[in-house]
Amino acid sequence: MSVVGSALFGAAGAACAGSLAGLLAPARLRAALVGACTAVAGLAGVVAGVAALDGGRWSADLPEVLPLAGVHLAVDALSGLFMVVSGAVVAAVAVYAVGYAGHGVHGASSRGAQAVLPLFAATLVLVPAAASVSTFLLLWEAMALTSLLLVLAEHRQRPAVREAGVWYAVMTHLGLVGLLAGLAWFAGQVGGETFAELRAGGPELSPTVRGTVFVLVTAALASKAGAVPLHAWLPRAHPEAPSHVSALMSAAMVNLGVYGIVRVGFDLLGGGPRWWWLALIATGALSAVYGILQAAMSADLKRLLAYSTSENMGLVLIGIGASGLFAAAGHPALAGVALAAALLHVVNHAAFKALLFCAAGAVLHATGLRDLDRLGGLRATMPMTAGLFALAALGAVALPPGNGFISEWLLLQSLIHGLEVPGVATAIVLPLAVAVIALSAGLAAAVFVKALGVGFFARPRSEQAAKATECPASMLAGMGLLAACCVGLAVLPGVLGGGLNRAVVAAGVDGEAPLRAGGLDVRLDALSSRLAPLWVVAGLTAGVLFASALPRLAARRRERRRNARLWDCGGGAPTPRMAYTATSFAEPLQRVFDDVLAPEQDVDVTHARESAYLVERVRYQRRVPDRIEHRLYRPVMDLLAAAGNSARRLAPGSMHLYLGYGFFGLVTLLVVLAVGW
Amino acid sequence: MSEATFTQLLDLACGGFLLAAVIVLWRRELTAIIQVFALQGLALAAIPLLLGLHEHRADLVAVAAGIAALRAGLLPYLMRRALIASAPAEDRGRRHREGSDERRETQPVVNVAASLLTAAMLTLLAYAVAQPLVALDPTPATRALPVGLAVVLIGFFVLATRRRALAQVVGFLLLDNGITATAFLAASGVPLIVELGVSFDVLLAVLVLQILTTRMRTAFGTTDLDDLRELAD
Repeated sequence: MSVVGSALFGAAGAACAGSLAGLLAPARLRAALVGACTAVAGLAGVVAGVAALDGGRWSADLPEVLPLAGVHLAVDALSGLFMVVSGAVVAAVAVYAVGYAGHGVHGASSRGAQAVLPLFAATLVLVPAAASVSTFLLLWEAMALTSLLLVLAEHRQRPAVREAGVWYAVMTHLGLVGLLAGLAWFAGQVGGETFAELRAGGPELSPTVRGTVFVLVTAALASKAGAVPLHAWLPRAHPEAPSHVSALMSAAMVNLGVYGIVRVGFDLLGGGPRWWWLALIATGALSAVYGILQAAMSADLKRLLAYSTSENMGLVLIGIGASGLFAAAGHPALAGVALAAALLHVVNHAAFKALLFCAAGAVLHATGLRDLDRLGGLRATMPMTAGLFALAALGAVALPPGNGFISEWLLLQSLIHGLEVPGVATAIVLPLAVAVIALSAGLAAAVFVKALGVGFFARPRSEQAAKATECPASMLAGMGLLAACCVGLAVLPGVLGGGLNRAVVAAGVDGEAPLRAGGLDVRLDALSSRLAPLWVVAGLTAGVLFASALPRLAARRRERRRNARLWDCGGGAPTPRMAYTATSFAEPLQRVFDDVLAPEQDVDVTHARESAYLVERVRYQRRVPDRIEHRLYRPVMDLLAAAGNSARRLAPGSMHLYLGYGFFGLVTLLVVLAVGW
Repeated sequence: MSEATFTQLLDLACGGFLLAAVIVLWRRELTAIIQVFALQGLALAAIPLLLGLHEHRADLVAVAAGIAALRAGLLPYLMRRALIASAPAEDRGRRHREGSDERRETQPVVNVAASLLTAAMLTLLAYAVAQPLVALDPTPATRALPVGLAVVLIGFFVLATRRRALAQVVGFLLLDNGITATAFLAASGVPLIVELGVSFDVLLAVLVLQILTTRMRTAFGTTDLDDLRELAD
């Protein structure tokens, strides 16, 4: 058996061992054992993925494991890429979880939650290895169910968890219905359910069948990836889950939605007409802008990160859509670059988002708060966490030298050069997509300045924030691993070049080696452009050092500095309440995007009893509801509730009526039989 | 017993069986309904008895004896006891206000004339539905098969339209009688062990319903099933 196969079986075995340990081990050892087993499973996933990215292929048929269908597994470079991402995130987060879930009070440390965690981790690694419809759906559903159980881990502590769980359960199962319908129909039309048969038969089907399959499957998978307007579960489930679970979901699970779209759209269906990809670009653009706008408005740290996930997946979808568009127009080289950019963004997003969620979890662990308005001043009390959060935020804002910058730069390159593809659609859509990416990058900068500046700098705005202490070593170690990934991806993205090329080819886009791994830099031969991140980092570091050293040198020449109190206009010393909060920081943005966001504001002025000119108290309330959710989901839910209420009239409690239903049912059936015989 | 006598007697038994079901719909006095039900039990027992004599099967004769004991003896006895329990002695002879007499099915959901018409329609329907079954193997027994189905439907109808708990029990038992008759007519009876199980089931169901009826009477003062509606609110 090859390296890939044995590593995958190792991952499954380690996960089972971890699950047993979670069930049986005494509470003292539980977290450590589960964490160790889960980390081993993640590392095995990384090993399998790296071997596959290196060009190793592996497949196995296990007909005895499942009755009727059997289990089919196959790994190519595309699966390998997603396995590496899932495995690395799982391994690092497992180390983090030992500290996070190790102490009794959290619901995440309960026996059940600990037993489910390794299974969820294993499905994250194994889903990309599925090579038949039944295997894929089985693993997919296992992933959805285990993640649902983990989301519900803290339902005793907060009632909001249950609501989030219901939303997540309903949406993930609606997604499963779409996926099941699409893939089953596809398999039925082709006459076989293994991916090899689908790959052979997919391109020959009629355009209607192909289009319907693509729409059904993509809608279901895009919902898992958190694409607007199917994102409603994401900003609920991610904040309410325990933080290590949020990190796994946001950095590994949503990726698998992207994996599915690439696998089905490019590989199994063999590409498609333009409208598929234009729709995908439109969805991605909507997700990117809407997600980051909602993130900008959010004062809840984890909710902000969840919406940012929506944004980043939107960018990835834009890349995939552009790639399909170029492939449909006969430009495989451009298609290769766009797909490579999208896949690289998946990798980068996984690295920084896992770290961000872990750091947010560390803050939650130390203070019990997620509300940015009440945090602040954590840089002094939690310096390590603050530094790690800053590093990840740098990746998320898509500015050099962060790792997000490289993939977004690649994406922009492919879109800008894509203008040479003829056609009205490309001439309109691509510049718009470029504008959307630029807008979302700008907003992302504001979002993460807000999260970092308001949350970690300034002075603490609540007692809990003031009393925070640095988190335990295992959590720091887990975050350190993720930070190392972020730095590696930012400085040396070239090492991924060969693997990305193979993944792009495995997806069925045969642009010959879109990225040239030049060791230290990334070259795009097709577009004759190059980027050397290491030199960018070196240059920036030199520039920052120079800029910060110069004033100091200048200051040294003058007289020594004098400490004086801040000028306070005579109003007394400034209190933390006067500093910017997350809400006030976002207020200008809210004004700019007033028409899009439709915030609900409420100013309540109470006058003093003596005179109407004296104000006793002013209360300001602002809510930014998710408008898409309000407009799209509320009517559907109202309709369902109305249908349920009217159906209740069928059951007024009369015994005769119930018996009558049975009687009329029987008689009607018999009449139909007698007449239709 | 000659073939012709057998057919005549079987048709007579089946006719009596169906007629008893229709009379249950017609009568309002619960005591009379129970009596008619006991007679129907006898008619039902006659079917396996005739089949057993005709086919020279001793086990069918034994089953016939068992059915007669259960459906013409034990079950009517139990129901009569329940009726006495639900309408105590001091109430007897005293006229209650209209609709509250425990011993009469005064106001069925569908009135008696319409019930009888419906029974005719249901019997027609049973004949129409059973035609393909009869066509499979036309013997005297299978030709009478629609009667069993008709009694099943009439029993269900009684169950759905009668208000008194005891009338409902009779409806349920009519339904079960119909099923048993269908089994005998179509396949000369089910295996003995199944027949025993079913009979035991019916007995238990009647005992449980008897207890529930008594409970209803103590809780609501009547055995009108419509009072159960309060439980839904």
